[in-house]
Amino acid sequence: MAPNQRPRSILDSLGEEIVRIVTPVSICMFSVVILVSILNGGFSSASGSISSIATVAYSETNSDSSWDKFKGALLNALVFVGVVTVATFVLVLLFYLRCTQFLKFYMGFSSFIVLGFLGGEIALFLIKDFNFPIDCITFLVVLFNFAIVGVLAVFMSKMAIFVTQAYLVVIGMLVAYWFTLLPEWTTWVLLVALALYDLAAVLLPVGPLRLLVELAISRDEDIPALVYEARPLTNSETISRDELVQRRVWRHRNTGDDTNGTLDSSNIRSSGSVLNSNTSSNATDQGAATVHNHSRLAGAEEGRDLEYKSELSAPLIDHGVSVQLNGHENTMPSENLLLEGIGLGSSGAIKLGLGDFIFYSVLVGRAAMYDFMTVYACYLAIIAGLGVTLMLLAFYQKALPALPISIALGVFFYFLTRLLLEVFVVQCSLNLVMF
Amino acid sequence: MEDPEHTPSTTTTTTPTIANASGRRITNEVLHSAPIWPTIDGPLGLSEEESVSYARRFYKFGYALLPLLWAVNCFYFWPVLRHYRSFPRIRPYVFRSAVGFMVFTSLLGSWALTFAVGGEHLFGPVWNKLVMYNVGDKLGLTGFI
Repeated sequence: MAPNQRPRSILDSLGEEIVRIVTPVSICMFSVVILVSILNGGFSSASGSISSIATVAYSETNSDSSWDKFKGALLNALVFVGVVTVATFVLVLLFYLRCTQFLKFYMGFSSFIVLGFLGGEIALFLIKDFNFPIDCITFLVVLFNFAIVGVLAVFMSKMAIFVTQAYLVVIGMLVAYWFTLLPEWTTWVLLVALALYDLAAVLLPVGPLRLLVELAISRDEDIPALVYEARPLTNSETISRDELVQRRVWRHRNTGDDTNGTLDSSNIRSSGSVLNSNTSSNATDQGAATVHNHSRLAGAEEGRDLEYKSELSAPLIDHGVSVQLNGHENTMPSENLLLEGIGLGSSGAIKLGLGDFIFYSVLVGRAAMYDFMTVYACYLAIIAGLGVTLMLLAFYQKALPALPISIALGVFFYFLTRLLLEVFVVQCSLNLVMF
Repeated sequence: MEDPEHTPSTTTTTTPTIANASGRRITNEVLHSAPIWPTIDGPLGLSEEESVSYARRFYKFGYALLPLLWAVNCFYFWPVLRHYRSFPRIRPYVFRSAVGFMVFTSLLGSWALTFAVGGEHLFGPVWNKLVMYNVGDKLGLTGFI
């Protein structure tokens, strides 16, 4: 151990970990806001512009009354949540039958679809917007590279951490942008419905995500799903991989046992395994319903420090959400198994499911379609919700849903800002009281 | 428990002894044994054995029109480029990936630049057929969203 290392305070370690999860969430939200501002600046509503599983029950048009829109949105949201539930149960079944190879393949395939097709389309929108004189050969080569390296980053367990994290954020951003194209009422009701679903699926004993997590714990495996894992803190450069606790999520804490004992056993068990074994499975199904399974993984292991070795692991149930597109000519692949949920990896790194990234960004993107004031309010609300969730995670040490608190605060502050704050601030500015 | 393949390569240097003013020799022998990991992730990354196979695979797959994979190879094994003496087995792949990436990028970049700057002026009506926004419109590629 280097002699000039001073002991890390809780502020260093805890603050660093939180920053490492808040940063990618913020980057994702920021990029979605930028995309929305650039691409949707022209028109104010995209009524009926996309047909997907989220609008199969009702397509919002401008001429309907508010009550009709609300009813239609509720119907849409219920259908969507129903599809998500079914798909999550299918995922649980597949995981139970040990079809992990299939899940991983599905994950890679859906990443390719999202990065290649969705990414290509959004790039095309940007090119048209800016009249960027790129030719199709260069465009195809660049897109091909981008998509293939992205699939490798998501698929392979030992890619550079930065590359994997960057690609997960990009996937989240692309899917979130797609979701913001839904009609307005549908989006808001959908967000609330998904937050409630998440709460139920993770905390109820019959919830699919909870089943998934418990299954994974009992088998000591990782769920194949798309999960963003923050880089774990390492105290010293000299700690080799054997001493580092492997990233196993599904271990319960043995409060009665000697913590050193659990650490050793985990080392022995996982000495040869690859880190980052809880890669997310992202499955896109062209034309078929894909389910986003949001799962929250909460497992905390802080086994690196020599003074403080305790291994907490709480599985975070991931449950992915899949969206199906039912367009006539569109071949947009549906979303894939994106996971939502917050938890801790076995090496103490915080893990947040990709579904959380997506729906936070959808909320902020929708807020951006109104005004930037709502963006600031919703961003702060979401980050506050995330902080509260992290605190609860540290407290309860089990799988927790990351959506409900943040979405509740976000939606609440969006409507408050839009209805009350904006009027106030605009009047103040007009009268030069406040800028 | 450490198996030999998981240990990183270590560099050892010794500094010469220094004589201070009073003539006593102060020996300053420092065993500089900080391990150098072959990947940019340090202890979280690959061991040296795995690195060789990964570097080789990235290098070979990059030939499938994937210069970005070569770039990722160089990025991932950046310590190999910096301390090239310590990793004789990984080094050739990473070097060749770097060279390949730069060659491919310069070729593609020069083509793209010629296309963008030359415009119709240089290419004639073919330019309009090749430029991406027209191709997108013609094939209806933006009809999905």
